[in-house]
Amino acid sequence: MSEVLIELKGIKKVFFTEEVETHALSNISLTINQGEYVSISGPSGCGKSTLLSLIGLLDTSTDGNYRLGQHDVSDISKQERARIRNKEIGFIFQSFNLISDLDVEENVELPLTYRKDLTKEQRKNMVREALDKVDMAHRAKHFPSQLSGGQQQRVAVARAIAGNPSIILADEPTGNLDSKNADAVMELLDKLHAEGATICMVTHDPRSAERADRSIEVLDGQVIADQSKQSRTVAA
Amino acid sequence: MFALQDFNYAVRLLLKRPGFTALTILVMAVGLGLSIYLFSFLNTMAYKPLPFKDGESLIVIDKSLNGLEYNGGNLEFYNYQVIREQLKGITEHSLYSDTSANVSGRDGARRYNATEADHNLFQMTRTKPILGRDFTVEDTKVGAEDVAVIGYDLWQNHFAGDPQVVNQTIRVDGKTTRVIGVMPEGYFFPRNAEIWLPMRISQEDMVQRNTGSGGGIVHLAPGTSLADINNQLTTIMKRLEQEYPKTNAGIGAHAASFPMSTMGGGSNIFLTSMYVVSVLLLLLASINVGNLLLSRAVERSKETAIRVALGAPRARLVGQMLWESTIICTVGGVVGLLVAAWALEVTESITATFTDDKPFFWWKFGIDSYTVSISLIFVISTILITGLLPAWKNSGADFNAVLRDGTRGALGKKAGRLNRVLVISEVFLSACVLIAACSMVVGTYIANKRDYGADIENVLTAKVRLIEANYNTREKRAQFAKRLHNELENNVGIGDVAIFSALPGEYTWSPTIAVEGTEYINENSYPRANYIVLTPGSLQKIGVQLRSGRYFDSSDDGLEKRTVIITDSFADKYFAGQDPVGKRIRVAEIDGDEPRWLTVVGVVEHTIQGQSFSPSSKTPSIFRSITQAPRFNMSIAMRMKADDAIVIRTLRKVLEQIDPDLPAHLIKTYEEKIARNTAGIGFASKVFLLFAIVALILASSGIYGVMTNTISQRTQEIGVKRALGAEDSHITREFIWAGVKQLLWGVIPGTLAGGSLGYALGLMMSTGTDVLGMVIVSVVTVIAIVVLTATFLPTKRVLMMEPSLALRYE
Repeated sequence: MSEVLIELKGIKKVFFTEEVETHALSNISLTINQGEYVSISGPSGCGKSTLLSLIGLLDTSTDGNYRLGQHDVSDISKQERARIRNKEIGFIFQSFNLISDLDVEENVELPLTYRKDLTKEQRKNMVREALDKVDMAHRAKHFPSQLSGGQQQRVAVARAIAGNPSIILADEPTGNLDSKNADAVMELLDKLHAEGATICMVTHDPRSAERADRSIEVLDGQVIADQSKQSRTVAA
Repeated sequence: MFALQDFNYAVRLLLKRPGFTALTILVMAVGLGLSIYLFSFLNTMAYKPLPFKDGESLIVIDKSLNGLEYNGGNLEFYNYQVIREQLKGITEHSLYSDTSANVSGRDGARRYNATEADHNLFQMTRTKPILGRDFTVEDTKVGAEDVAVIGYDLWQNHFAGDPQVVNQTIRVDGKTTRVIGVMPEGYFFPRNAEIWLPMRISQEDMVQRNTGSGGGIVHLAPGTSLADINNQLTTIMKRLEQEYPKTNAGIGAHAASFPMSTMGGGSNIFLTSMYVVSVLLLLLASINVGNLLLSRAVERSKETAIRVALGAPRARLVGQMLWESTIICTVGGVVGLLVAAWALEVTESITATFTDDKPFFWWKFGIDSYTVSISLIFVISTILITGLLPAWKNSGADFNAVLRDGTRGALGKKAGRLNRVLVISEVFLSACVLIAACSMVVGTYIANKRDYGADIENVLTAKVRLIEANYNTREKRAQFAKRLHNELENNVGIGDVAIFSALPGEYTWSPTIAVEGTEYINENSYPRANYIVLTPGSLQKIGVQLRSGRYFDSSDDGLEKRTVIITDSFADKYFAGQDPVGKRIRVAEIDGDEPRWLTVVGVVEHTIQGQSFSPSSKTPSIFRSITQAPRFNMSIAMRMKADDAIVIRTLRKVLEQIDPDLPAHLIKTYEEKIARNTAGIGFASKVFLLFAIVALILASSGIYGVMTNTISQRTQEIGVKRALGAEDSHITREFIWAGVKQLLWGVIPGTLAGGSLGYALGLMMSTGTDVLGMVIVSVVTVIAIVVLTATFLPTKRVLMMEPSLALRYE
C-alpha cells in the first residue's frame, strides 16, 4: 500500500468580515496517498479552491490538523510554509500566472532560484528537463505574451514540475483553455501521473475529473463523496 | 474630440470622487501658485521694462572693476565721454549720479535721495513735470543758478502740496535753490530719487581724469541688443585700459536694464536657480497629479475596454482623459493665481525691507499681463503633462486582454516601465530642487550667523552727510566729527559712541594698498582693502577686539599723523609670519590726499564690510583716525541707555546745535541694519525653503503613491512567487533592490544637476563645497529613506495577505 502523503483531520476554514462569518470548510478529513491522482469538484463557492489553498499551504485553517508527509504542518511558521511550498508542492493555476517580464526559461527557473542548495548549472538542467517534458524547450526565450494559452499553461506545468515536488496542485488547469488545448494539458498531467507524480486537481469539468483515480466532491464546505475510479465505474 | 458629453462625463466623474478631486486640485494649485508667484516676482524684480513709454529700450551703463559690477553712477566722466562717442546702436543718451541732499526748511533739515541729472534725464523717460519745467542745457552749465526739480512726496511733505511751489526756494546742502518743477506721483527715476539737481560738468571735466563719475542712461536703437552693447563696451574699455594702464587697469563698463543693474553680483545664478527650481516643482506637481489620474485610468481600464469594444475611437478616449486634466489644472490654476496675487501683495511690504533706503520704484508686485500670460502657459503645459500619462496608458493597453480578464498575473511591461519612469523622475526632480533649495537655506543661515566683528546689541545707528560747501577743509570735517562724538557721549541716554566712515556691515571704498617692501608689477597687482576712518575709541566701543598693538588714542590725533590699524585678515595675508606692528603700508589709489606711508599701530579682528554672504565679506580692512583723514559721510553708532526715541531726539538736538543744516538719516538699530543686509537673500531663502518643503511633500507622497500603485498591481505576482516558495524576506529584498535601483537612477543625475545649482549658489553665498557636500548627503539620505519606506510599507502590506488571497487579488 502507498504511503500517506497528505492527511487532513477536522479542517475548518472560516472567513470573518465585519458583519458576516462565512464557513468555507467544515470539518474536512481526508488523506491523499503518494502517487494518487485526485480530483476535487463541486459547484462554484463550495470551498474546493479553499481546500486546495490549504493543502498547498497558501492559507491556514481555522481549526484542524494537517500532516504533509511525516510532518505536522498545521501550525508552522511562514518561512517554513514557504520552504515546503517551494520543495514539496508544484502549483498550476487556471490563469497560468506566469510573470510577464520573465521569459519562459526564467519563469520555469523562478521557484528554483528560491532554493539555496542548487547551483546555476543544476537549475539550468532542471529547467531544460522540465521544458522537454512539456515540449516547450523550443520556446525557452519567448515571453508569455508571445505564447498561446495552451502553451502558457504548458510552461506553467513545467514550472510546477521543475523542482520535482511531492505533489502537484492544479486549480482549474483547463479553465482558460479551449477543448483542444485543455486535452493537451490533461494528457500532460496523465503522463506526469503515469511517471509517478501525485496530483490533486480542482475542477468542475467532469471530463477532466474523470481522468483522476479518485474523485472528491465538495458541497457547502463538506466532502459529500469520495470515490475511486473503479467504484465510479461500477456505479455507472 | 472634446465633446460636451465628454466634458459632462468628466465633471460627473470628478464630483463622484470629491476627495480625489480636491487632492488633485490642491496639488496643482500649490504647484501652479508657487510657480506663478515666483515667475511674476522675479519678472518684476529683474526683467520688467520700466513703466515709461519706450521703457523696454532704456538701459544703464556703469562701471565694473575686475569683473565686479557697480551701479549708482560710478563710471568716470572721461570713460563715459569715450563710450558715448564710440558706442553704436543707441538713439539717446543721458548722464546721472545718485547722491543725497540735505534739504532745510522750517522744521529743520531732512535728507532726501537725490539724483544729479543731465538736462535730458526726464526726456529719457518721456515724462513731464506736473508743475513747472524740467532741466534745460542752461541749468547744467557751471555757474548757473541753483535749481531743483522736486518729487511729488517732497512737494507734499515740504510744501504741503502748494500749487504755487514753482519758483519758491529751499535750502539744498546749505545753498538757496529755486524749485523749477514737480514730478508726478510715483516718479523716482532712475531708482529712488526724491529731488533732482542739475549735473554740472564742464567740458574740461569731461575730458580730464579724476573729475567725477556718473552712470550713463541710453535708449537702444531698434534691432540693437543688450549683448551688442556689452560687447562694444568690452572692446572700448579694453582699448582704454591699453591706452591708460595706470588709471584704467581692471576698469570696465557694463550695460543692463535698470532692474537688473540693482540685482547685484551673482544675480544671474540666483535668478536661474529660482527659475529652474520653480519649473521643477511644477513638473513634480504635474507628475503627481498625472500619477493620480493614471491610477484612475488603471481602475477604469475595464470601462475603457468596453468603450473600445463599442467602437470608441482612441482620440475620443484620450480627449476624455484630457478633460479631467483640463478641469483639474484650470481650477488649480485659478486658485493658484488667486493665491499668487495675495502673496505678491504681501511681498510688496516685505521687499521694502530689502534695501537700507526706499525700495526701487518698479517694485510693484501684483497680477499684470505677464503674470496672466505665464499662468495660461503653465496651465496648458500642466494639462498636457498630467493628461499624457493616463492617455498613454489608455492608448497602450490590451483591451481584449482586459475584457477577457487576461491580465491576471504580473504587471504589464509598459505599466511597469511607466511606473519606474515616474519614480525616477520624482527622485530626480526632488533631489534637484532639494539640493538647490537647501544650499540656499543653509548658505543664508551661515551668512546670518557670521560675525561682523561688532557688538550690535542695543545700538542705534544713524548717518550724517556733511555739506561740501560748509565743510570744505579737512580741519572743519575733523573738528565736526570730534565735537559730535563728544557731545553725544555727554548725554545721559547715550553710552558709548562710535563714528565710522562705514560701520561693520556697511559697504565702503576699497582702494588699492601697497605694503612697504613689496614690489608690484602693475596697477592691477596691488591688493585692495576696505579703507575706513573713525573717531579714536570707536573700535573698542563697538566691540572690535584688539589682537595686537593698540587702539587709536589721543597720540593719533592730527592731520599730519600717519598711523593705521589693520585687521588680522590683512595681517595674515600681507604680513604672514611677521609682527605687523611697526610695519608700513600706504593707500596706492589717489585719495585726495598725498599718498604717504602709514605705520601699523594695532591689529584688530576681521570686520565684515557689506553683506556677510558677499565675496567682499572676506576683504581685509584698514582703519585710520578721522582726525587724520576726515570724510564727508559718517555713520554713528550709539549704545542706548534710554529708549530709542529719546536717543533719536538727543541725536537730532545735538546735530541741530552743531549745524542746523545737517539732518541725521537712516536712523535704525544696528540689529535692524544688519538684518537688512540679508533681508533680500533671507526672503529668497524662505521662498526656497517653502519650495523645498513642498517638493519634499510632493515627492514623498508621489513616490509613495507610485510605489503603492506598482506593488499593489503586482500583488498577484507576489502571490505567485510566494506560491512557488519565495520567502517574504526574499520578496522584500527583491522590491527593495528594485527601489534602490530606481533611487540611484534618479538621485545620481538629480544630485549632479542640483549640485551644480547648489555649487553656483554656494559661490554666490560664499559657502564652501563642504557645506554643499553636507547638503547633498542629507538630501540623498532623506530621499533614500522616502524611497525605501515607500517600497517597504506597501510590500509588507501585500505580504501580510495570505498567498491564496494575493493570487485572487483584483
